[in-house]
Amino acid sequence: MIKVLLADDHSIVRAGLRRIIEESEDIEVIAEADDGKTAIRLAREKSPDVAVIDISMPGLDGLEVITQLKIYLPSLPVIMLTMHEEEQYVVRAIEAGAMGYVTKRSAPEHIVKAIHQVASGYRYLTAEASEALALRIAKGAAGKSTLDSLSNRELQVLRRLAMGHTNHEIAEAYGISTKTVDTYRLRLLKKLNLRNNAELSRFAFQSKLVET
Amino acid sequence: MVFVFASAGGYFYYTSFKEGAFREAESETIIRLERINKNLSLLLSEYNKPVRILAGMEQLQELLSSQGQEALAEVNRILDRFRNTLKADVCYLMDNKGNTVASSNRNDPDSFVGQNFSFRPYFQMAIRGQAASYLAVGTTSGKRGVYFSYPVYGYGKESPDGIVVIKGSIEMIEREIGFTNDEIVMVTDPNGIIFISNQPNWLYKTAWLIPQETASEIAASRQFGSGPWDWVGLEITDQEYVVDRVGQKYLHHQIEMDNYPGWKVNHLLDMQKITQKAFKPLVVFVRPIVLALFVVMCLSVFMLYRQASLEIRQRKAAEEALRESDARYRSLYHNTPAMLHSINRKGEIVSISNYWSEMLGYSEQEVIGRKLTDYFTEESRKYAEEVVFPEFFKKGYCTDVPYRVTKKNGQVIDILLSAIGDRDEKGDIVRTLAVSIDVTERNRALEALRKAKEELANYSRDLERQVSIRTREITNILKYTPDVVYVKDREGRYVLVNSRFEELFGVSNEEVRGKTDYEIVSKEVADEFRRNDLLVLQEGKSMQVEEQVQHNSAVHTYLSVKFPVYDEAGAVNGVCGISTDITAVKKAQDQLRRLSGKIMASQEKERAAIARELHDELGQVLTALRMDAVWMQERLKGSDPEIAERALTMCDLIDKTIKDIRSIAIRLRPGVLDDLGLVDALEWLTSDFENRSGITCVFEHTDVPDLHETVATAAYRICQEAITNVARYAEASRVSVVLKTENNLLSLSVRDDGKGLETSELAGFEGVGIAGMRERAMLAGGNLEVMSETGRGCHVLFKVPISQETKVAG
Repeated sequence: MIKVLLADDHSIVRAGLRRIIEESEDIEVIAEADDGKTAIRLAREKSPDVAVIDISMPGLDGLEVITQLKIYLPSLPVIMLTMHEEEQYVVRAIEAGAMGYVTKRSAPEHIVKAIHQVASGYRYLTAEASEALALRIAKGAAGKSTLDSLSNRELQVLRRLAMGHTNHEIAEAYGISTKTVDTYRLRLLKKLNLRNNAELSRFAFQSKLVET
Repeated sequence: MVFVFASAGGYFYYTSFKEGAFREAESETIIRLERINKNLSLLLSEYNKPVRILAGMEQLQELLSSQGQEALAEVNRILDRFRNTLKADVCYLMDNKGNTVASSNRNDPDSFVGQNFSFRPYFQMAIRGQAASYLAVGTTSGKRGVYFSYPVYGYGKESPDGIVVIKGSIEMIEREIGFTNDEIVMVTDPNGIIFISNQPNWLYKTAWLIPQETASEIAASRQFGSGPWDWVGLEITDQEYVVDRVGQKYLHHQIEMDNYPGWKVNHLLDMQKITQKAFKPLVVFVRPIVLALFVVMCLSVFMLYRQASLEIRQRKAAEEALRESDARYRSLYHNTPAMLHSINRKGEIVSISNYWSEMLGYSEQEVIGRKLTDYFTEESRKYAEEVVFPEFFKKGYCTDVPYRVTKKNGQVIDILLSAIGDRDEKGDIVRTLAVSIDVTERNRALEALRKAKEELANYSRDLERQVSIRTREITNILKYTPDVVYVKDREGRYVLVNSRFEELFGVSNEEVRGKTDYEIVSKEVADEFRRNDLLVLQEGKSMQVEEQVQHNSAVHTYLSVKFPVYDEAGAVNGVCGISTDITAVKKAQDQLRRLSGKIMASQEKERAAIARELHDELGQVLTALRMDAVWMQERLKGSDPEIAERALTMCDLIDKTIKDIRSIAIRLRPGVLDDLGLVDALEWLTSDFENRSGITCVFEHTDVPDLHETVATAAYRICQEAITNVARYAEASRVSVVLKTENNLLSLSVRDDGKGLETSELAGFEGVGIAGMRERAMLAGGNLEVMSETGRGCHVLFKVPISQETKVAG
């Protein structure tokens, strides 16, 4: 049985989540908290296996709760739950020490899987979240001049091209035309002074834009 | 004539010379007399002191008391010693009875020893105890002498035992005085007996006639022997002159002697001798002059003759010249280029010059004998006959009389006529000589000039009027404008201020003139004024500046327009300022800005609240709903596929709604900005913009500290507005957003590669986005620049200082 701590200031969200989580036979919600402080207290009292914590809560917000839990219970894996779709929150959450990141909208489909995964010691990120994280890490690590001159979309296209996606797949993923994707590709080659997709891939790997 | 004058001159010269000679002789005489008197006084008092010494010798007293032979010998020896030493005539001692007991002349035939001189006044005075001096002829010796006596007293005696006498010689005195031959000097006693003189034969005679009884008195005194005392014949004619028996005239002066009362020193000067003395050099001098005068006269006569003959010749020559001159005059009269004419008493023309006939076109034959006035205009004729002619015949001349004359061709000309009259022996004017000048042209010119002057005067009057109107207008403007107006010179001294200035600073124009700002406002304010004034003076350009002044404890803000004032030479010689009080406007502006800031802030706050409400509350509920829908679908998937399908549809609907709500919330205010800060918000914004617009958007940033909400909001909204504008107008393919902090200055730069805008077009866009951006920038305490050029994109730059206050606390 995986013991789970659920922290969210909205009781109906908590109830919904609980229902979904408890559909799974091997997961049990042992405690619920409706603010950050309670979450920390219960985590320490009840020793859950996984903590699912809402990022925006009154009092201590989710990011701070993670930071504190890292101090008191460093081995407790935390899944960050959020209403926000913006990738900026993913990066912050992972930086703070979250092992998983699930938006509330996608929670019904992902939360059980996420709990299983982090309980087994793995990270759980959606494709979008891993992409955002990859871009941020690449940008943070690479030399200033190379990646700074690229826009977000350019980086996204570059990453996907390096990962071997086709123009069509990329167009599909971002809701743009294949022609536009090709324009991006040509612009990237020119900007980075590269000759072909192979060189693009090598550059992306070197820039840690794609995990090896 | 010359001779007569010379004689008269000579005579006057002679008399004046004579007069001068007398005056000179007179003054010389007086000086001479004074000197003689002084010498006499000295000589006649010579033995005054010795006689006292002699009287004090005790041997003399001893002899008078003892009468011994030894004492006598001793006294004789002393007397001899005194006589010899003093060069006196004789020294002798008398007892109290007047008998001579010892004398220096005891061995002479005329020895005084044994003689009694008690009758002598000198004895009588000395025996009474007084010193005496006395002039007399010796009764024994018959020689004139001056006697000095002094009493000799025995020991402790009250009255003298005798007297001692020293007699001096008058002959010796006479020699020592030194008379000249030109003069007669005589010393007379009170009765006129001549006792001392340089005329030996006058001695012992009377100078003036004396009565018989006086002569007897003199005889009785035995002072001058036994007489007779004849009269030398002198007679005093008037105060200054005496005449002798033969009529010889003398200049006479007399003076009283010192110490001898009644005795006089007389001085006579022969008049003939004076004249001779005066004229001897004159005669020598005059003779050649007379001779020279004669020669001169002869020469003058000769010269006069020559002169006369010369004049006759000259007169002949002059007559000849006059004839020539007359001929020349006639020629000149006719040929001179001037209008000359002569008329007779009746006003008829007697002659005209050629030029006259030429000018007026009438020939000589035509005009001679005709009246001059016939050629005048009616008006001029009347003027001539009624005014000018009568006056002329009275005075004999006239000058510059204006006439109008009709030429033969009918043309009328203006002339100025001047004339003089020729008079006959009786002094009546018989004819005239007149000259006329054609002044038609000149008059025309003068008339034109007068008109021009009049016009000029009118013009200048008009100008003055306009100036005065303008001046009044300007004065009124200066007076009634609510603005402060002033003019200062280069040194900052006030030249002029308007009434508003006077009112505000409580000074009058007169008081403030010549003063600087330093005497009116505080140093700080004056410094600021002066700085601005100097800028205008140096640059020579006008400027606009806000200046602050304190009035009645309230600080007023003025918008001052300052501009240079030029002098006549075009050099800047001062500065004029017009200051408008914009305190109220400023205040209103500030209030408006604060209000606008408040509105914006509250708008943001409200938006944030709504966004949060939508996103968090409604969003959460929807997600919870969605969770349930998914749960239901999962549950009913096997049992009731239809409802499960329905739940899925519901789920999609909820998804769509959540998306919409999120979109609305983010548009109201992005949660990222509040939750994660400006950098994350801009990262999301640019990325979202790129996704939506397809315009590549690169966001770069440095480490940015936590910012105050106002600044963060301003930066976010400015960026949002700027990129929105890019999407709307720029036709750009790329936007670069750069956020950085440098030296406590946050700068946000949004630059596109679009078509850009002309600077002039920017004004148009101010109304849309740019004004709003500016407003936000200003409210956050920063500023906004928009730079653009056609074809080179647009660059929006927001800069704001980030002090500790603008950073968010904690």
